[in-house]
Amino acid sequence: MPALEMAQETGKLISWLKKEGDSITKGEPLLEIETDKAVMEIEAPADGVLAGVKAQAGAEVPVGQTIAWIVRPGEQPPTDEVAATSGRKNTIASSQPTSPTTSQTSSPTLPQTKPDNFAAGQSNSNSSAASPAQTAKISPKARRLAAERGVNLADVPGSGPGGEVLASDILAAAEAKSAKPASAPQSTTSASPVARLMAERTTESWTTIPHFFLTREIEATALNAARQTRRSQPESANSIKLTHTDLLVAIVARVLRKHPRLNSRWSGEGARPNSEINIGIAMAVEDGIVAPVIAKADKAKLSEIAQQRHDLTERARSGKLRPADMTGGTFTISNLGMFGVNAFTAIIIHPQAAILAVGAIADRVVAENGRPEVRPMMTLTLSSDHRIVDGARAAEFMRDLAEAIVDPEKYLS
Amino acid sequence: MPESAVGTEKDREITFAQAVREALAEEMRRDSTVCIMGEDVAEAGTPFKVLSGLLEEFGKDRVIDTPISEAGFTGLAVGAAMTGMRPVVDIMFGDFITLTMDQMVNQAAKVHYMSGGKWKVPMVMRTTLGATRRSAAQHSQSLHAWFCHVPGLKVILPSTPYDAKGLLKAAIRDDNPVVFFEDKMMYKMKGNVPAGDYTVPLGLADIKRTGEDISLIATSSMVQVALGAATMLEEIGISAEVVDPRTMWPLDEKTLIESAKKTSRAIILDEGYERYGVTAELASVIATGAFYDLDAPVKRMGAMHVPIPFSPPLEDVTVPTEQTVFEAARKMCGK
Repeated sequence: MPALEMAQETGKLISWLKKEGDSITKGEPLLEIETDKAVMEIEAPADGVLAGVKAQAGAEVPVGQTIAWIVRPGEQPPTDEVAATSGRKNTIASSQPTSPTTSQTSSPTLPQTKPDNFAAGQSNSNSSAASPAQTAKISPKARRLAAERGVNLADVPGSGPGGEVLASDILAAAEAKSAKPASAPQSTTSASPVARLMAERTTESWTTIPHFFLTREIEATALNAARQTRRSQPESANSIKLTHTDLLVAIVARVLRKHPRLNSRWSGEGARPNSEINIGIAMAVEDGIVAPVIAKADKAKLSEIAQQRHDLTERARSGKLRPADMTGGTFTISNLGMFGVNAFTAIIIHPQAAILAVGAIADRVVAENGRPEVRPMMTLTLSSDHRIVDGARAAEFMRDLAEAIVDPEKYLS
Repeated sequence: MPESAVGTEKDREITFAQAVREALAEEMRRDSTVCIMGEDVAEAGTPFKVLSGLLEEFGKDRVIDTPISEAGFTGLAVGAAMTGMRPVVDIMFGDFITLTMDQMVNQAAKVHYMSGGKWKVPMVMRTTLGATRRSAAQHSQSLHAWFCHVPGLKVILPSTPYDAKGLLKAAIRDDNPVVFFEDKMMYKMKGNVPAGDYTVPLGLADIKRTGEDISLIATSSMVQVALGAATMLEEIGISAEVVDPRTMWPLDEKTLIESAKKTSRAIILDEGYERYGVTAELASVIATGAFYDLDAPVKRMGAMHVPIPFSPPLEDVTVPTEQTVFEAARKMCGK
């Protein structure tokens, strides 16, 4: 079981993409595992034949424990049990879930298998005889999308000219799945890994972190201008379009330099400042929220931030974020302005100290020198962990942030 | 319509035949090594009147009527090209390329490689393809796949007057032997063609119509058939994309694959024989490049595996039509 993150103890085997006895090529997708941050395809580390598979789909396996061997054709895998490298708790690596569940969860994740082989594999597994997946034809695109979106092909009726399961059927099924109310008994069992992770993480954060909230209304005239001038520069014509989020990432990261408390983490005994300022950006994906990270955002140029944010958005959209993309965040920004939300409070991502909730920029009537004036305004709400940050410190950060937003050029040059 | 009357307008419309003639005339004015050889090219201006007027402007030394000997004058062109000319050979009916095969396949395509790059063969062979002209089995075939199969030759299939002019000029300037297939049924088709000099690069596909639900990958006159079918499909709510590879070799695989990925479905249309033909190659490109983005097997539509019949009703069913393409696309989309 490979370790994909520094502090990972176990990994959950979601599915094997190859069967025992299959020949495999170095670099081919071999299996899918789930860490506490993401589901990840693991590539074969070498050429050979898959043998001695010890862990089945669904098993939670300690990092470092052997889960299978890649051998030369004809070679037998070693029979000796190789213990996990660490003395960490030995979990259910060798126990197997009941076989129908196994075949159902693993079947949609075999994009390389031809339909004929697929049907043959099903009939060996003693699952219910008339499962639609056994007889229905599934288009290559539908099969791939089902694997990507965690849709069980057996549950999807085909709408093709000959009853084939098509891409549109999978997309409809994925949509129906995410729209289903949480109380429906089926959706609790079939929640996708991303959705389940989100449920666990937010519950943990909300119930263990003493949140408190500070709100400020800030004029966005200068912020809009900063974006406009950079967008209209000729050299930016072919590059990534700068967003308000990009500007806020840059400004927040630079303001955080003066406020190490807000960039700390809770270690159990006390607050520890992080040496880097890595800004996470909350992004909606198919069935949940992820927060990929722009590392050292306080040192990154605005164009670099925009480029990275664009790449991360694209990857998030296509389900290709890597665990590394979501690791190491020290402060998170969640922007719902594009949805027209005025203000909201966000849940802190453990073990960070704070998260900034960004509302829409909208024209408001404000008093200026005793007269009503119309100005573009935005509302920022900071959620802080009271174990790390107190009200005064958070307020000082918000004051400096507000000053930076009304005079951004000082920070962006 | 006399060309001079419209020659200066920007959005002027001329026929496919006029576009071909204009490309040749412009290149002959630009480069004195460009000459034309073939049967009935000079006095008659070809049976399709594509070359009318060229003899008058360029004279008998550069527009040369040959005996009925395709192998002979094609060989003449290969030699002329090797020694500094840029000949454009006219093979009246594409069916007659059979006679030129040794010169094209074993000489023109090979000389550059076998001489270690010392010789070049910058010649163009212009010829025709296309059925439904009631010309019977020996004058109706579309044999372009034969040349596509041979490394060292470039093969062009223009589908519009604009592409015909730009691609033919690019072909004449290319240092390799290029075969240029014109559908004889398109010669009278009109389209916008700029009056001045322009070329269309070889190896660049063109999306003739954008769509979302199905890709119709079509060559030569089948592009027009595909566009007609796409209009019919639109009426029943199917949005078809029409992609024209324009050159069979070099082939713009990327554009074909991207289109199939976008729409998830592809039909390949080509007037050559379907078996072992261009449709097979293009379908393979898409099946390989877009497999995990396909919702249906790639479908091929080409000429039926029969000698083209002389009987008009029979001839018409041997090649794809707007109606048959419409039916196939509708079925593939499940409507």
